[in-house]
Amino acid sequence: MSGVRDELKEMAKGFRWGRRPLVPRSAEPHVLEKDDAGFPTDWARTDAGVAVRQVLLKGVMKPILANELSMRVHGLDNLGGLEGPVLFFSNHTSHLDATIIMTTLPDEWQAKTAVGAARDYFFDVWWRQAFTALVYGAFPIERGSGSKGVGKARELLDEGWSIVVFPEGTRSPDGHVQRFRHGTARLCLEAGVPAVPIGIRGAFQAMPKGRGWPRPGRPPVSVRYGRPIVPEEGEAHQDFSRRMAQAVAQLHDEDRSTWWDSLRRAERGQTPSLSGPMGPGWLRRWEGSRPVPRRGPERAWE
Amino acid sequence: MPRPGFVLEVDERTPPLLVHEGEGYRLQKFPWGTRVVYPPDSLPAIRDVNAAIRHALLSPVGSEPLPELLKPGMKLTIAVDDISIPLPQMRTPDVRQRILEHVIELAASKGVEDVKIVVATALHRRMTAAEIKRMVGERVFRSFWPNDLSNFDAEDPDALTHVGTTDKGEDVEISKRAAESDLIVYVNVNLVAMDGGHKSVAVGLASYKSLKHHHNVDTMMHSLSYMDPREGRSAIYDSATRMGRLIAASGIKVFQIETTLNNDTFPSQLGFLNKREWEWSAFDQGLMMAARKGNDLAPPRVRREVFRRIEADYGLTGVNAGEVEAVHERTLANLHRQQLVEVRGQSDVLVMGIPYIGPYNVNSILNPILVHCLGLGYLFNMYRNKPLVKPGGVVIMFHPVPWEFHQIHHPSYIDFFEEVLAETTDPSTIESKFEQQYATDPWYTHLYRTSHAYHGVHPFYMWYWGAHGRDHAGDVIFVGGDAKAVARLGYRRAGTFGDALEMAKDTVGPSPSITYFHAPPLMIADVK
Repeated sequence: MSGVRDELKEMAKGFRWGRRPLVPRSAEPHVLEKDDAGFPTDWARTDAGVAVRQVLLKGVMKPILANELSMRVHGLDNLGGLEGPVLFFSNHTSHLDATIIMTTLPDEWQAKTAVGAARDYFFDVWWRQAFTALVYGAFPIERGSGSKGVGKARELLDEGWSIVVFPEGTRSPDGHVQRFRHGTARLCLEAGVPAVPIGIRGAFQAMPKGRGWPRPGRPPVSVRYGRPIVPEEGEAHQDFSRRMAQAVAQLHDEDRSTWWDSLRRAERGQTPSLSGPMGPGWLRRWEGSRPVPRRGPERAWE
Repeated sequence: MPRPGFVLEVDERTPPLLVHEGEGYRLQKFPWGTRVVYPPDSLPAIRDVNAAIRHALLSPVGSEPLPELLKPGMKLTIAVDDISIPLPQMRTPDVRQRILEHVIELAASKGVEDVKIVVATALHRRMTAAEIKRMVGERVFRSFWPNDLSNFDAEDPDALTHVGTTDKGEDVEISKRAAESDLIVYVNVNLVAMDGGHKSVAVGLASYKSLKHHHNVDTMMHSLSYMDPREGRSAIYDSATRMGRLIAASGIKVFQIETTLNNDTFPSQLGFLNKREWEWSAFDQGLMMAARKGNDLAPPRVRREVFRRIEADYGLTGVNAGEVEAVHERTLANLHRQQLVEVRGQSDVLVMGIPYIGPYNVNSILNPILVHCLGLGYLFNMYRNKPLVKPGGVVIMFHPVPWEFHQIHHPSYIDFFEEVLAETTDPSTIESKFEQQYATDPWYTHLYRTSHAYHGVHPFYMWYWGAHGRDHAGDVIFVGGDAKAVARLGYRRAGTFGDALEMAKDTVGPSPSITYFHAPPLMIADVK
C-alpha cells in the first residue's frame, strides 16, 4: 500500500494537484487552445445555489469581514427605486473587493447578482472553480479576448441577473486605479443597463496583491455606492467608459472630503485623478499604500 | 492545424514523464535541462478513404490509370505488406482491405481472371489464416483463400526466379509468379521512412539469396541513416533501389500503391498515451494510474492478452499510386509532414522507452533479441543526418528484457540466444561464423515453410539492425532489465534511472547532456 501512497504523492507533486497547472516554459509556445466548454457555473445560480450562497455570504463571509476589517458602507440608498439588472463596477485593488460588494449589497440584490471572474485565474483548478462559482455566483470572463470573452455576462444580463465587473481587468499592483478597459462600457451600452459605480478605499492597504488574508489590526475599508449612470442615446463606449472612471474617482473624492465638496470639484472638472503620481514604481506603491485614516471625514456636528 | 513536434526542456514545472517499458509504462522524473523530443500532433485523417483510393487508382503518378493496365486474360499478382506494420495493428477495416477491394473490383470489371494475392512476408513468419482474414477482410478472404491468397514462400525453389544481377553484383531473386505476371500491384502501408518504395517488391518478395546482399553487417554499418532513403544516405536502401530498378528494367511492371497513417497510435481509451503530460486532465491522470496499477497486478498472461488486443485508431493521411519512385517521393513527403521533428545538436545520453511491440512480435513475444533490434535497430535510428546521441555516448533504455521466447514463432532465436550470443556478440564474427549454418538449416527451413516460424537467418538480421547503434554508442544500459538476459546481449543493467545515469557518468563525464526520445507515437528526429 505504501507503494501506491508514494506514487500518489509523486503524482500530486509532479502534476500540482490542487494548484494552478503550469506549462513547462519551453512548451509555452506550443500550448493547445482551450475549448470553450470550460467549467459549468449555472448550477450556482439555481434557487438552491442562491440559498446556499446567501447563507455563506451572511453566515461566513460577512462575519469574517466584520471581524477582520473596520468597514464603513455608504450610499446604498442610491439603489432605492432602481430595478435590475444593473452592472456594478468598482476600482479593483484586492481579492476583498468582490466579497465586500457581495456582502454589502441589500438582500434582494444579493440574491440576483453574479460576479465576473477572470477565467485564467479563478477557473483553473476544480476547487477554486467550485468555490468561486458557489460563493460569488461567478461566471468566467476571458480576459483580453474582446467581446467574445463577455458572452456569458451578456447572457446573464438578458436573464435579469445583475453583474459585478471590474473594468480594470486585474487587481492594481500599486493601489492606484488603472486604465478602464472599454469592454465593460461596451457591454453596458449593448445590454442597455445602468451602471452603478462603487468606490472602495482601503482594500489595497488591507489585503494587497500577494496576501491571502487581511492584515492584522482591523484596517479600515470604506465602500461607497454611487448614483447609477445610464448610457445616453448614441453614446460611444469610449465616452461612457470615461464617465464610469470619473464616477469612481468622484466617489473616492467624496470619501476623502465631503459629498458637497466633491460635487463642486466635479462641476469644475477638478476631481483628483486616481491614477496616482507619475514617477518610479516605488513612489507609486508608496503613495498607493498610504494608510487610510481610521475615521471618516469630520462630521459637521462633531 | 495540428501542432508540430517540438523539443521540451525539463524545468521545475515539468511533471514526471511517461516512459514505455515493454508491457507497461512508468512515470519518470528527469533531471532539469533534459531535452525531450515530442512527436507532432496527429494530422487530420482523410474523411472519405474510398474516394481517396479511387482517385489514386484512376489518376496515378507516372503511370497509366489502373483500369487501363488491366486486360482480359492477363496474369495479375497483388502483393500486400504483412502485419508487421502498422504497429499496433489498426482497427478494422485495415486500409489494405479497402485498397484490395478497389483493385479487385476493377480487375473483375475488366475481365481479369488469373488473380493471385500474396502476402509479402519475405523471411518473416507465415501469417495465420485468422491474421490474414483480419487484414484483407472477410470478402477478399472468402473469395481467394487458400488457393489464390497465400503467404510468400522464400524457400520454395520452384516458386522463385533469378531476375538478374545488379551492377554491384547483387543477385535479385524474387517470386516467380510475381516476375511472370503481366502486372504486380503492390499494396503498402508506410509506417516509417525506410518502408516502401523499391523495398516493397525487391525485399518483400525476395529470397535469402537476394536479401543477404543488403541485410548484412557491412551494409548496415554503412547506412548513415536508415530513415533517410535519399541516395547515398542509406546503403541498405540504395541496394534495394538498385534491385528495384533492375526489376523494372527487366520488364516486370509494378503498380505501387502506398499509404501513410497519422499518429493516432493508441485508441481513445488510452488517449493519455498520445498526449503531452502537462496536458493530461484529472481524468487522464486517474486513468493512467488505474491502468498502470491494474497492469502491474494482472497475471502476465492477461497483461499480454490486453496489450495484444490494442488496436490503433490510425487515420489515413495519404494514398498514392503509380510508378514506384514517383509514388514513394509523395509518400515520404506525407510521412515527413507527420513525423519530422527538428532537433538541434546531439547529446551525451539518449534515453528511450521500449514499447511492448515491434514489427516481429505481433501476436507474439518481444524476446531479448527483438528488444535489442527495436531499441538500437529501430528507435535509435529514427533520425535524419546524425543520431541523437554523440559517438561514444550512452544509450539508456527502459525494458524488463525478460528471458522469454515464442516457441513457435521464434525457434531460431532461441538457439541464436543460447548458442551464438553465448559465444560472441560481435556482429561481424557472428555473421562470418554462424549465419550460413542457420540460414540453411533444414529444420528451421521446414518450420519456416510449414509452421509459423521466422526464417533461420532472421535473428541474425535483428542483430545486424542494431549493429550500427551498438557500434555508435559507448555504453548501453537497460533500466529494470533481467540481469542475465541483458548480460547475454552484452549490455549493462541498472535498477533505477538514477543508477543508470550514475553508471553513464563513467563513460560521458559528470554532467552529461540528456535527450529523451518520447516515442511512440513515432517520429523522425531531424538532427541539425
